[in-house]
Amino acid sequence: MSDTLGSSNTGQAGSATRAPIIEARDIVKRFGGAVAVDDVSIAVEPGEIHGLVGENGAGKSTLMRVLAGVLAPNEGSVWVDGQQLDPGNTREALDAGVSLVHQELSLVPEMTVAENILLGSTPTRAGFIDRRHQRRVAAEALEEIGVTVDLDEPISRLSVALRQFVEIARAIARKPRVLILDEPTATLTPAETEYLLDMLKRLASRGLAIVYISHRIPEIFAICGRVTVLRDGSLVTSEGIGDLTPQSVVEHMVGRDLQLDLESRRLNPDIGDPVLSARGVKAPGVNDIDLDVRAGEIVGLGGLVGAGRTELVRAMIGADPRSGGQTTITLGGTSRRITGYRAAIAAGIAYIPEERRSDGLALTMTVVDNIALPNRSALSRSFVLQRRRIAEFATSLAKAVNLRPPEIEREVGQYSGGNQQKVVLAKWLGRKPDVIVLDEPTRGVDVGAKVEIHRLIRELADEGAAVLVVSSDLPELLELSDTIHVVRDGRIVGVLPGAEADETAVMALASGQQEVDVA
Amino acid sequence: MTPETSSPINTLPPAAQIEQELEQKAFKLSEWMAQQGIFLFTAVLVLFALVFIDGFASLPNLTDVFNRAAPIGIVAAGMTFVVISGNYLDLSVVAQVATAAVVLIAVTNAVGLVPAILLAILIALVYGIVNGIAVGVFKANAVIVTLSTTFIGLGLLRWLTGGSIYFGDSDGPIRTFGTTRIGPLPLAMILFIVVTLLLSLVLTRTNFGFMVRAYGSNREATRLAGVNTPLVVIGAFTMSALGAMLGGFVLAAFSNTAVSAMSTGYDFRALAAIIVGGTSVFGGRGSVMRTLLGVVFVSVLTNIMVLSGLGFGFQQMAIGLLIVLAVSVDALARKTRVS
Repeated sequence: MSDTLGSSNTGQAGSATRAPIIEARDIVKRFGGAVAVDDVSIAVEPGEIHGLVGENGAGKSTLMRVLAGVLAPNEGSVWVDGQQLDPGNTREALDAGVSLVHQELSLVPEMTVAENILLGSTPTRAGFIDRRHQRRVAAEALEEIGVTVDLDEPISRLSVALRQFVEIARAIARKPRVLILDEPTATLTPAETEYLLDMLKRLASRGLAIVYISHRIPEIFAICGRVTVLRDGSLVTSEGIGDLTPQSVVEHMVGRDLQLDLESRRLNPDIGDPVLSARGVKAPGVNDIDLDVRAGEIVGLGGLVGAGRTELVRAMIGADPRSGGQTTITLGGTSRRITGYRAAIAAGIAYIPEERRSDGLALTMTVVDNIALPNRSALSRSFVLQRRRIAEFATSLAKAVNLRPPEIEREVGQYSGGNQQKVVLAKWLGRKPDVIVLDEPTRGVDVGAKVEIHRLIRELADEGAAVLVVSSDLPELLELSDTIHVVRDGRIVGVLPGAEADETAVMALASGQQEVDVA
Repeated sequence: MTPETSSPINTLPPAAQIEQELEQKAFKLSEWMAQQGIFLFTAVLVLFALVFIDGFASLPNLTDVFNRAAPIGIVAAGMTFVVISGNYLDLSVVAQVATAAVVLIAVTNAVGLVPAILLAILIALVYGIVNGIAVGVFKANAVIVTLSTTFIGLGLLRWLTGGSIYFGDSDGPIRTFGTTRIGPLPLAMILFIVVTLLLSLVLTRTNFGFMVRAYGSNREATRLAGVNTPLVVIGAFTMSALGAMLGGFVLAAFSNTAVSAMSTGYDFRALAAIIVGGTSVFGGRGSVMRTLLGVVFVSVLTNIMVLSGLGFGFQQMAIGLLIVLAVSVDALARKTRVS
């Protein structure tokens, strides 16, 4: 392995070539017959923020898990400070100062902030938990990242964004020399993202080496000194940020010119009468909300994470109990009150929840079973399942949402995030819903699937459905919505026509810099 | 290049597909063991017994093995619904089997066979609905609930019967059922197979069975699909109760007697068959036919031990060991699936 030593000096950024703090050499990782990471080397210097980009499935997360000792590579080695690490030994990697902030949150919801930050390294005195020490270390870590949160608050009461920051504090509490973040901004709003990016720059300026994985190219250009692009498990390029442009990075990622027509706002939507109407809806985190969604209209709900948008839509359709107010569905001149969730479904509402893995899909069941679930009554009159009809039905829907590969007898859990989300959509498209409520419809979904999901949402509205979309992805919200309602602290603080809205206007309302009278 | 409006995404590199193939190609021993292991192990065990165990490979012994497995097999087939629905198990089958047996014999003696059967059905429905409401509506833990209903049911039975043994009419219908054979096959064994096939059809081919499986796989997703989930749980516990009732009938018919203590261990033995068959205790995965296979496995293993002169204590220990192994493999398979 010593013959590869020279490779660490090939980088041209920072020509002083400080010795890398962490180095992975010729890593190969296979799962069964497939190669997830194919002969990739990467080196990060102290104080460097190293961007790692690639499409879903390009091998980024696998490579990082090898770096952090979570996975043992089939070939190659990981070196920290000139010492070779025992492959796949998480403990040793941690002791050497490599901290991985996972993509999926790994906090214990019932425990407090302080307890979570020191989870796995809880200090003891004479066998008992040393609470004072625990609180001090936790407070220091939070102070280091500049986040204020009550140490005794259970994680379950924190917003998704704060949980993400606690997760980072937990990594920081271990006094790492290398910090690896796997898409930390996926669930954050622009303001929170900006805060996080500033924090990372500050940490790097103190000598911490950071590996930053993100789908969002602007973030990479905002903070990274060097970028490594992976495609299909192989290293495509590793260059200083000055030698790259956003376009060239995307081209490296997908391997060709990308001319996706992401900007395709509906020009002349045919909007009818209100179909879904909420009056004075109240629930925990939702204060007295009035909201109308008209036939053929896409209404976007914008706002910061934790503003109460999810709570609002769930209370509106009865998925969670309301403490006041009412929701009606008006179709063909007759209004029906929505008394509960099953009544809402029966009245023609489709609901695509925020968390597709925990709330949207039965992961151990097949695509056809998942699609059949909300459609059984439409498909079989007797109590016996009509399996052939269901299979035909599922096949046509899988085709309509462009599931790839369209194998309806495969377990949903085996599909990627984008395909899973298409299955969730397919479940409900089959009912030809008059009202469709989508919460973060493209979170964690790759760019290709995102375009297709947007197309499906527009088609639904074009066919006359009333569409309500919650999205923290601001470009998505602006691009899809005919009308944007901005939610803050459980209230609608502004209504913007889609054509006039821009990022600044939405953010000004969402962050409370400006209030507009609700028309 | 092409002016058509065909979506540009179709030409994207299939990154997502690579990800899927990873999942597909990675061979996981624990997953294979959990899913397919029972077929291999049952085959090996039966072959082993046929070759090495004296007295195993005779038609009388084999039919006897299956016939004696009938009560526990029917109980396990019903309880499979509860396990697949993700509610762990129904401990109250112990009380239900004994109650059904006592009701069948005592009420037949006093009033007649038909009232006895009707009363037993009524009791089974009460068990299913009470367990189902506590678990499905109030979201109470199934283990604690069914442990409590076992206490209530057995306590009530002992209080009412005073622990006495009931004997059936020596040439009545119950006795006849327990001893009749069609050709070489005992009636109880035929009932066992018919009930298994029927419950298997209910689980795989009906709306109700589908909802039980979906609920076990992801209860929140099932609720959000508009399914009346409390009703699904009540249904699952009712299937278990009806299985326990039939199992109690068969058990009573075998000896033509009934006593409140006759069903000790039925909870655990039924669970052993279900889990060894490969139905996941985490819910969502499994089938009634797997439970049948689990019953065969456990029965053959027990028979081997009996024929080899190993005592009850040893048998009990072996079954316990088997369950620890089976649930560990199940958990390991789930872990590798999730990661």
